[in-house]
Amino acid sequence: MYLGISAYNHESAAAIVSNNGILLDFSREETLSRVKCDRSFPKRSINKLLRDCHCTFDDISKVIFYERPLSSYLHPLVVAAKHFPASRALIANQLRNFTLSSTRVYSDVLSLDSRLQGKLIYCDHHLAHTLNALTYSAKQSNVCSIVVDGFGDRSTASISLIHSPSDVLELWCLQYPCSLGLFYTAITDYLGFAVNEGEYKVMGLAAYGNFSESYSKLFNQLLFWNDSLKTVCCDLKFFNYHISPLISYSELLADSLGPSRNHFETLDPSSAEFQRYADIAFAAQSTLENVLVSIFEYAYSLCQTNHFVFSGGVAMNSASLRRLASLPFVDSIVVPPSPGDAGSSIGAAMYGFIRASLPSAHSSLSLVTPSLFPTRSDQSHQHDALSLLLERHFYRLADDLESSLLLLSRLIREDHIIGIVYGDSETGPRALGHRSLICNGQSHTAVQRLNSLIKKRSLFRPTAPAMKHETAQSHYVLHQELMPVYSSMSATALANSDFAKSLPTTHVDQTARLQIVENGSLLDKILDNLRLYNISIIANSSLNLSGDPTCGDLVDGLMVCARSPLRYLLTDFGLYQKRAD
Amino acid sequence: MKQAALHRELSAFCETAYAEFGSALEMVAAAKSTQSPKLCYGYFMHAKDEYNHAAIFLDILARRSKPFLGHNIRQYRFSPGGLYRKGYISPHGFLIESLPHKNFVSFVYTNELLAKKSFENLLKLVGGPESVDGLLISQIMQDELRHHGHAKEHFLSHYSRKELSVCQFRDTLANKFRRLYDANLKILDRIFAPLYSLIASGAVFILIAIKLTDYQRNNKNLFDISPSSVL
Repeated sequence: MYLGISAYNHESAAAIVSNNGILLDFSREETLSRVKCDRSFPKRSINKLLRDCHCTFDDISKVIFYERPLSSYLHPLVVAAKHFPASRALIANQLRNFTLSSTRVYSDVLSLDSRLQGKLIYCDHHLAHTLNALTYSAKQSNVCSIVVDGFGDRSTASISLIHSPSDVLELWCLQYPCSLGLFYTAITDYLGFAVNEGEYKVMGLAAYGNFSESYSKLFNQLLFWNDSLKTVCCDLKFFNYHISPLISYSELLADSLGPSRNHFETLDPSSAEFQRYADIAFAAQSTLENVLVSIFEYAYSLCQTNHFVFSGGVAMNSASLRRLASLPFVDSIVVPPSPGDAGSSIGAAMYGFIRASLPSAHSSLSLVTPSLFPTRSDQSHQHDALSLLLERHFYRLADDLESSLLLLSRLIREDHIIGIVYGDSETGPRALGHRSLICNGQSHTAVQRLNSLIKKRSLFRPTAPAMKHETAQSHYVLHQELMPVYSSMSATALANSDFAKSLPTTHVDQTARLQIVENGSLLDKILDNLRLYNISIIANSSLNLSGDPTCGDLVDGLMVCARSPLRYLLTDFGLYQKRAD
Repeated sequence: MKQAALHRELSAFCETAYAEFGSALEMVAAAKSTQSPKLCYGYFMHAKDEYNHAAIFLDILARRSKPFLGHNIRQYRFSPGGLYRKGYISPHGFLIESLPHKNFVSFVYTNELLAKKSFENLLKLVGGPESVDGLLISQIMQDELRHHGHAKEHFLSHYSRKELSVCQFRDTLANKFRRLYDANLKILDRIFAPLYSLIASGAVFILIAIKLTDYQRNNKNLFDISPSSVL
């Protein structure tokens, strides 16, 4: 078996792949530690994988780390040295935090168990992303891989041609510190959202923005594709991420755009500053999309293939995918359900499997597409321990799935909101129905309650709709190039019917980040029952409260009920209703 | 009020929010670790209270930070990763994973009481128990006392009163040492920060000499790169 690990940078995770290349289990550390974006070594996740897969460290053939640790550590330092003395604080910080960087992976792996001695290998960071994406692609040869993120272990974007899963030829890369991901992060920081976490809020805010000549001109100076050099250029004068450990944009950017947002200030669409922030977000989003288009065009000229896999943190920018799919040379774009660093642990584990299969399986190798719910979950022991809590604070309305779903559809019709902790769970970051909060997606009252009372979301943020394929086809402009991506809620689609435009899940720019549910999935069954009430769309959001990771187990789900007005929870043990206090 | 005093006040609320959130996570971990329905219930409800306390302190912090400019208050943004950085939870595991049950309960017993005492200082900051925020903090203090009482009751149902006194003495001492250690860290930080800065200046000459371009991947099959290479 092959154990893939991602850690120390953004989101730690671990994945385990069997000797025949099947993803057996995957776990994000944040789900277990309850620390959002937990980047510590994923010890809990690794122990969980071993426990749930009934294996020991003896069964692990290789442990694969998702980047080259020294490269990852040295690159920012070498770049910072070129900007000395302005970068003194960052260099001092990096030196001081040497023991917190990924260079400690060897000792952390050995501290798990001495049987892992000699089993640790390293995979290029962008190769881990590529293999994660390729695992979800039906086509696995003659595919172009585009990886765009903040920073990996050497580059910030790359184009590779995949001849086969074991033959990945890198054709172009973008060197740090020029970075699309860090550009977007700097704007996220300026707009008062949390770095490496709030980027999706910038994307949501951009929809409220209007084209502004001045912002557009400025942003096109900050980051642009240089066609003669065939690379991305950025003006580092406007950024600090390469010289400061504290702030990612420079005073020059703040002087050019106006005062940055106080993150404690509520972002209300009716407030005076809202439009300025939205226009800035719009300009940032447009700039990002323009550069992505150029990268895809260049990738096509290099690879001459119409099939793309797209990964890295920037691939989470679901709004950009519509434009990329419209490019004339694109036949398909596959984005893995977890395109960021957490998902790259899957790619790392696949790397171990592929290497072990070489050279015998050089051309015949193919990777098995994992389920959308690969995280094994057995709640029975927790259910027993929670018996007193359930008895005192909850009613069990139904104890089998069929009757639970019947009741649940009636509750949805009555505009109630339902939490779900059911079966194995998603890779994240999107909740696809097993760790979700759902309600009637056609009811403004229900969606507003979900957003404001339970999630306490900013007013400008949209909620995603989930629906069957035929509903999506009738009411949205679907791109055939993105069909697999819709099942993991990774792309937006334009509403094209009055019905869809009037939905509370439709964003201000008439788009929705829709999920087309898989046949036979839990959401599919719920939608079957809702037909009776003419409800074909459910709003689907992750089951968590603001600032927390998505729920992992029954305790987490019940905690959301305890801490919020959420009253109903669908579990493996039936449908529960919270008693009135 | 002077800026420095305002910042001290914001810092106090921010640190308390971290402490309460860290306690909530410890209690969630405890609820997940036990097979006893009674203990699971107790830990769960305790966690719920601690989450609630953290939310109250974050709300106070947000209200009091609004008049500031964005870049002046960056350090008070609550970031869950700060729980590790600031030492409110350990990257090596939760207390329930590392302490014997007896020590875990006595830890809760002692620290809930100490927390209640530290909130008395916060009460002064918000203008006493009659102010709006003071009422909220008073309620939190009541919660802490209740948790302290539950922990005591649970401890005494398994161990003797004498053992409780010994544990309380030990945990109070440990708490004082932690505070002393934290204060010393801040002093050491003041000493070491210029030293690291000096080392950084020296390291620049070495760093500039490093040529990472030798490790480019252009036109290479990425599977041809050695899997044992860290560069």
